[in-house]
Amino acid sequence: MTSLPMTASSDNGRRNENDETSVAVNRRDPIVHFLDKIRLSATKLGDAMEDDNEGEESPTELNTINSAGGFLIVSPDKLSVKYTNTNLHGYDVGVAQANKPAPFKCLTYYFEIFVKDAGAKGKVAIGFTKEGFIMRRQPGWEVNSCGYHGDDGNIYRGKGTGEAFGPTYTTGDTVGGGIDYASQEFFFTKNGAFVGKIPKDIKGHLFPTVAVHSQNEEVSVNFGKEKFVFDVKGYETSARNKQEMAIEKVSIPPNIGYGLVKTYLLHYGYEETLNAFNLATKTTVPPILIAQENVVDEDDSSYDLHQRKTLRKLVRSGDIDAALANLQDWYPQIVQDDTSVVCFLLHCQKFIEFVRVGKLAEGVEFGRLELAKFVGLTEFQDIIEDCFALLVYSKPEESPVGYFLEDSQRELVADAVNAAILSTNPDKKDVSHLHSHLEILLRQLTVCCLERRSMNGDQGETFRLHHVLNNSTRR
Amino acid sequence: MATSKKVITREEWEKKLNAVKLRKEDMNTLVMNFLVTEGFVEAADKFQRESGTKRILFFLLCDFHLCLVKVSFFLNGETAEIDLATITDRMAVKKAVQNGNVEDAIEKVNDLNPEILDTNPELFFHLQQQRLIELIRQGKTDEALEFAQEELAPRGEENQAFLQELEKTVALLVFEDASNCPVKDLLDVSHRLKTASEVNAAILTSQSHEKDPKLPSLLKMLIWAQNQLDEKAVYPHINDLSTGLLQDPSE
Repeated sequence: MTSLPMTASSDNGRRNENDETSVAVNRRDPIVHFLDKIRLSATKLGDAMEDDNEGEESPTELNTINSAGGFLIVSPDKLSVKYTNTNLHGYDVGVAQANKPAPFKCLTYYFEIFVKDAGAKGKVAIGFTKEGFIMRRQPGWEVNSCGYHGDDGNIYRGKGTGEAFGPTYTTGDTVGGGIDYASQEFFFTKNGAFVGKIPKDIKGHLFPTVAVHSQNEEVSVNFGKEKFVFDVKGYETSARNKQEMAIEKVSIPPNIGYGLVKTYLLHYGYEETLNAFNLATKTTVPPILIAQENVVDEDDSSYDLHQRKTLRKLVRSGDIDAALANLQDWYPQIVQDDTSVVCFLLHCQKFIEFVRVGKLAEGVEFGRLELAKFVGLTEFQDIIEDCFALLVYSKPEESPVGYFLEDSQRELVADAVNAAILSTNPDKKDVSHLHSHLEILLRQLTVCCLERRSMNGDQGETFRLHHVLNNSTRR
Repeated sequence: MATSKKVITREEWEKKLNAVKLRKEDMNTLVMNFLVTEGFVEAADKFQRESGTKRILFFLLCDFHLCLVKVSFFLNGETAEIDLATITDRMAVKKAVQNGNVEDAIEKVNDLNPEILDTNPELFFHLQQQRLIELIRQGKTDEALEFAQEELAPRGEENQAFLQELEKTVALLVFEDASNCPVKDLLDVSHRLKTASEVNAAILTSQSHEKDPKLPSLLKMLIWAQNQLDEKAVYPHINDLSTGLLQDPSE
């Protein structure tokens, strides 16, 4: 699938204004961005960024393939281990790792073990190890591993001698091991109480690990199927709160929120909302002064506000013919090229509106007349094919291509028309009709957080607007 | 241990910016959240119609654990439309206080939800105090004194902090020229606004809404995130939120 090159959002005048083709391409290029948005909708269902764990898999059970056979047996449900041997040599520990490494695009990872039977010597351990760990050694006894041992309560961090860390633990105790990706630490708990933490010097994937080392020792493990004894959500909340408190201390220009909302409304042509908003800000006590300095509006986003509002209303109500008629009247240059992206989107939408009301025959007729010409064009092909697929389903709104029938699709087309009109502004300085001011700031925020996480070994949480709005655990 | 910072060129940075997947619905929701928490009823209503954004987020504040239980009414198009009427009520209360009509405001709050003042003794005291201030401002000395004795003194007896506030307020009566005395701030319109804010927040809490819009927090987060990233990388910043201009790293 060809993807047309995107012009940078501020190209510093590198654009060659004398070149006719490049002007035409430039007018089209930014609007092409809306096609990508449709493609994004298509993948929404599988979009990993939406998941809580961004598509990462979590450990669910113990790995029976690499566990120390001969020294322990794993239960059929793969959630328990029992030491079978009687020797106590340093190289006959019974070790089992989880089937998957701990996910790390999250704030913490945590799991717990329950000591069913401390056996003869109570040499149980919980910790984290890497792939290829020598499965006959206690976690923590080898480099790149760590373990909290039940017999002495010590923490082992890569060598045979441990450091004092916490209490010992035995039959009936529930011990938890966790990784805090924000602070890059391992932490451990016992019976719901926090025991302690140590720096995590190990990079890369880590497997939750459990070990037993004396006759009859038996341990079960909980990867989250059961409720944890330790309040790990509370731990996360208080960690997030600390971060939030630091963020709240940052100062921003007063009333900038109002300024950003105002330019957002202007940018997209929400004229009626804007009028109500302006009235409201003037009549509050004291009136909210959205000073010019607050949000600089270099390109006059109020350009043709009323026309843009009218077009948006028409598109959103599904009256595409009226929209096209208005465009022909007011901005013929936009619809001049009938294979432009805007024309494509509008005609596609008209087709969608036929499907919406069940007029499939008319839709097909229209498709033959007006949409056929887009089929051969590579930049539209995948979308038009998906769109035609609507005809196939008796309940198209429930089909995999149902997103075309959603309100968001109308909004997208309205936004594209809006951008096209803004691009006709002779005073505009650069490709500002693409993104509103608010969007620019949100993009910067997203990239900064992603970069920050990427420099943290890609571990920890990042900013996702959708997540913040829908799953907020703030305050 | 000095670590050299990773350098990200403007071109690379802009590629990353363009790759961000931001959904229009989410930005609309952010704006709607702003309009609602600010109490701009008309604007929220119009925005609902112009953009189709019906999504309003409701959160239950669980004060004991400072955690939020998400109660979402909007996923998959099943929506609870904002009860715009309650925003109107709240704004009416706020406005009444801002205009000095405290008795009216108290009545309205009780109409909305009698529990608000019952469970908020501090708020109730501040409203009564404001009422006293208004009586003094209007020169109704006798009425003011009677009010202070009957309504406020009993509260002052229960609570040291209230007593001190009460004494400060009554002191206004003592001075010939109240606008020049040490406690003249009480007469300032800003005190009305402070009380109005307090009431607004209490009503919002009782209606289980977020007190503040999310947008300012996100802006602060942007600045914070840039500061954090500065420790490890050199990259184009947005130094001025009001222009949103991307500036090349100055180093």
